[in-house]
Amino acid sequence: MIDFIYKLKWYFSEHKMKYLLIVVLAVISNFMEVIPPQLIGRTIDLINTGDMTIGTMWLIFLLFIAVIISTYLLLYSWFYMLFGSAYDIESILRMRLMQKFLTLSPSFYERNKTGDLMAKATNDMRSINRAMGFGLITLLDASTFLLTIILVMAFTINLELTFYALLPLPLLIIIEVYLGRMISKRHTESQKSFGVMNDAALEVVEGVRLTRSYVQEEAEAASFKGKTKDYLDRFMKVEKLDALFQPLTIFVVSLSFIIAFGYGAVLVNEGEMTVGEVVTFNIYLNMLIWPMFAMGMLFNIMQRGNASLNRVEEVLQTEDDVVDTGDSIVESSEIDFEHVSFSYPASSRQNLDGVTIHLKAGDTLGIVGKTGSGKTTLIRQLLKMYPAGTGSLIIDGINITRLNKKELRQRIGYVSQENILFSRTVKDNILFGNPGASDDELDRAIEVSALDSDLALMQKGLQTMVGEKGVALSGGQKQRISIARSLIKDPEILIFDDALSAVDAKTEQQIIDNIKRERKEKTTIIVTHRLSAVRHADVIVVLEDGRIAETGSHDELVKSDGWYRRQNQYYETGGEEND
Amino acid sequence: MTEIKRLLKYSLNYKWWFIGGSIMMVLMVFFELLGPLIIMTVLDDHIRLGEGNINVEAVIRLLIIYALIKLFHAIVAYFAQIILQSTGAKVVQSIRHQVFEHIQKLPVKYFDNLPAGKVVARITNDTESMLEFFTYVLPMFLVNGLTMMAITLAIFIVNIYAGIIMLIFVPIILLWIIVYRKYSNDYNHMKRERNSDMNAAISESINGMTTIQVFNREKQIESEFKDLNDEYTDSATKLVKLNGLSGDNLAGVMQSFVFALMVIVFSLAFLSPSEALTVGTMYLLVDYITRFFNPLYEIVGQIEIFEQARVASVKVFEMIDEEEEIEDKGTLDDFDGDIDFRNVSFFYKEGHLVLKEIDLSVGRGETIALVGHTGSGKSSIINLLMRFYDPTEGRVLFSGKDTKHINKKELRKHVSIVLQDPFIYAGTLLYNIRLNNEDISREAARAALLEVGGRELMEKLDRGMDAWLPERGATLSLGERQLISFARALAFDPKVLVLDEATSNVDSETEQMIQNAMKVVSRKRTTFIIAHRLSTIQHADQIIILEEGNIMEQGNHQSLMDMNGIYAEMFKMQVMDRNMRHA
Repeated sequence: MIDFIYKLKWYFSEHKMKYLLIVVLAVISNFMEVIPPQLIGRTIDLINTGDMTIGTMWLIFLLFIAVIISTYLLLYSWFYMLFGSAYDIESILRMRLMQKFLTLSPSFYERNKTGDLMAKATNDMRSINRAMGFGLITLLDASTFLLTIILVMAFTINLELTFYALLPLPLLIIIEVYLGRMISKRHTESQKSFGVMNDAALEVVEGVRLTRSYVQEEAEAASFKGKTKDYLDRFMKVEKLDALFQPLTIFVVSLSFIIAFGYGAVLVNEGEMTVGEVVTFNIYLNMLIWPMFAMGMLFNIMQRGNASLNRVEEVLQTEDDVVDTGDSIVESSEIDFEHVSFSYPASSRQNLDGVTIHLKAGDTLGIVGKTGSGKTTLIRQLLKMYPAGTGSLIIDGINITRLNKKELRQRIGYVSQENILFSRTVKDNILFGNPGASDDELDRAIEVSALDSDLALMQKGLQTMVGEKGVALSGGQKQRISIARSLIKDPEILIFDDALSAVDAKTEQQIIDNIKRERKEKTTIIVTHRLSAVRHADVIVVLEDGRIAETGSHDELVKSDGWYRRQNQYYETGGEEND
Repeated sequence: MTEIKRLLKYSLNYKWWFIGGSIMMVLMVFFELLGPLIIMTVLDDHIRLGEGNINVEAVIRLLIIYALIKLFHAIVAYFAQIILQSTGAKVVQSIRHQVFEHIQKLPVKYFDNLPAGKVVARITNDTESMLEFFTYVLPMFLVNGLTMMAITLAIFIVNIYAGIIMLIFVPIILLWIIVYRKYSNDYNHMKRERNSDMNAAISESINGMTTIQVFNREKQIESEFKDLNDEYTDSATKLVKLNGLSGDNLAGVMQSFVFALMVIVFSLAFLSPSEALTVGTMYLLVDYITRFFNPLYEIVGQIEIFEQARVASVKVFEMIDEEEEIEDKGTLDDFDGDIDFRNVSFFYKEGHLVLKEIDLSVGRGETIALVGHTGSGKSSIINLLMRFYDPTEGRVLFSGKDTKHINKKELRKHVSIVLQDPFIYAGTLLYNIRLNNEDISREAARAALLEVGGRELMEKLDRGMDAWLPERGATLSLGERQLISFARALAFDPKVLVLDEATSNVDSETEQMIQNAMKVVSRKRTTFIIAHRLSTIQHADQIIILEEGNIMEQGNHQSLMDMNGIYAEMFKMQVMDRNMRHA
């Protein structure tokens, strides 16, 4: 608890006055809340002793109304401040988290699952909010309220009675803490089971064509039933514990009342208490139940909030592993790989092994090789997405480690294998590459990436929404939009990472020709599985297990006896047999 | 509120359980009201007598009775909750099964128009909201409604003036709940919307982080996210304000106000010539009033869950009301692999014909290749063949029988499909080949895999056929996944095979592997191939060139080359580079 508050002390010290005010208002409002039972007890006593008059009655009534109104206003103001601050801090932390996400490199995203990171921005934020809002209110309200009432009971009514009547109540805290923990453990299991059920449903929905084709509908339904049953069982396990709360509370509280009335009767009999005091005492007792319960909950809420805060802090304190110190600017785009070697943190072998490539400004480089041979790894070095390995990668005479990431990327256009589009219109997706582009530039990018015919097919053309909330596009369409996005940037260095895999041969050739024409003066790097896409390249590199196995132009490579020649033959015999 | 009625109707199947639970609840309320009566007796008959006159033993006897009542109260409360919750859970389970079985009968069209995530959300998340309705909201409303009514009645019996005051409060409370619900719904709705927008934005940003960073668009994404975050916080803060002004706090005011009025009732009863209230009665009234207001706090707290359940029910019922496909009776006993398309036209959306008067004839064992750009109609032909859709006009014939009348399952038993993105289930390798079809023996499944060239794959996996493949086959390469789906197609031994772009997206070595598998699988079967690369279809008996839903050219490789049309041009494109080399 202390830990949690300490970690957020930057926020508290920033809002010192506000929290001071909250504490003051809370104490006053607690004090106010103690008055009504006193007024009722007094009324009963006055009636019982026969001293009640009309004047007294109105006095008590008006006092009552005054207390009600001021309590209402007091409670409102400090509840609002406290819960408002909880959302405030949630908002600040979530924003920081997002800002951090935006600076971290791919290796971070390989170490952490998307689902887990999402949970940090959502579930964990909610726990922190609960700890900051409900948790602090409980801490403040429940503890001061508890203390106020107990003190009032003990010193305005009877010390001994207070002591004995309160004996059973700490049981409530224990019940809440232990039962709460057991429930949360079982709840985790039931959530897991829910996840299994969810995955099963997803599998069936995504594979609907397959299920139908292989007539598996009934088998799927049977297997799904098994999963819903498992979830139901686990859910009921949680509920069986959860259902214990109310009965246990009812019984423990009744014990307190029994003591209060039993011992109260003795005290009245001995002349140490009045009847009215017994009534007031029991109203107070009733008022103690909620704070007692809340105190129990407090432990769990603060504990969860603290755990969540730790999980969030973990991300916020992650140092990006790509060091970014330099501020030099690339002018042209000569690229030299000199004996570049690199291995991923989790890898046991060299993913790049002594790669040397020289590229003049305006050259086109083709990179080919089997899956896993290091093609993409090489590109990632150029994009400064991973820490530099050994050897040196020099752009325009400057070692890449001395280049500023942003400045470097400003000069690179990149089309990745995954064809990531965002939930916005096709136009905005393309402009993502260069928000300031003119309409002419937009048209040009669309033309070069052979996207025009696709746009004609889309109902709203450029204004079609894509991404998670929009229409589903084919792989080829996504690829062409990604290409347009990189072209509109008109970068010094353009990189295609297997970016033509989903377009047909004719379109591929069209795009390649367009790019050749448009980018005569600029450097282009094409990673591909299909040799046809790199045939025109100035330099072609064949990678194998992170090493350069062959290098040269297309004409040179087909003359040497290697992988490239074999692959090339394979494609060509396809045509020769029927020619 | 019709959806709530409909939701409640489901519980009729379990009505005895609900009645049992309700009886427990009535008992619970009864014991709850009984307790304070004992205390009243303690106060009136004993404690009131004052110093020296109290029979402590009698007090203790009464308190023991009180303890017993509370014990019963606790026990009944436990069972009431467990019975109602487990019954509610069973109701929701049956709804879940209904939804799931229902989606298996929905036309494929339904899934093409709705993202998978949304469909799944209906099956699981939305029904989960219903579960909360049945397990928390409904019992809570019932118990609290019952308690409030019983207490009002009890107060009436105890003191008519106090009763009248309570009655005046009932409409005020109802009005308050209605107004509160309206405003809190608006804010809650906004808050939930923004919350899910934020989630979507985060997930999209994480998935597209490289793209964002490479294009230096961090600032843009950040400011877009900030807008969402601010709107979320704003509506959350409004909700805090609303709750602070009119939630628990206002309930507290009403409770205290009733107490203040009681001061007058008590005093006037004492001051008027009529009989004064006893201490016990006054205590009883205070206790009952407290118990009357407690449920109010709970109801206010559950309004949001109630609302979510209502919205979720609407969505689930919408899905349940989607029309199921009709189960046709026609059988397909004497099908030998002969397929004809007669004058087939087809559209997904009115006015956008994707197939225009297509005529095709494929003999048994023949291979037919469909070539064309995206949107040319290739996939639509497959959709019609599998009866995922039916033609708008014209007929698709299987051995002369119109597929429109053939039972879909019956038809699909004869057709296997290999998709561009092979689907792998979480399960063993064996399961992924034979699925749930026990007619395919382990040996047959193994043989099928070996036949398509999967020996290497099987040996690579730790436990061979029993190796566990994770969801979507994440640990396998695309080529390996494709091999498994070929083995699956082979093991099911269909008369017709559909290969839907099974070789795009793979590197050339994988393609070779798959080419071989394709040859094995298509032997002696009527085969439809969709392919980007012409090299993979040259041996087809028929090649169809489609453009915007029309058949432009039709023939085998040689005749199409002789025709010197679109196909010939495309083909030349693909071998052009070789010519360039020769030049």
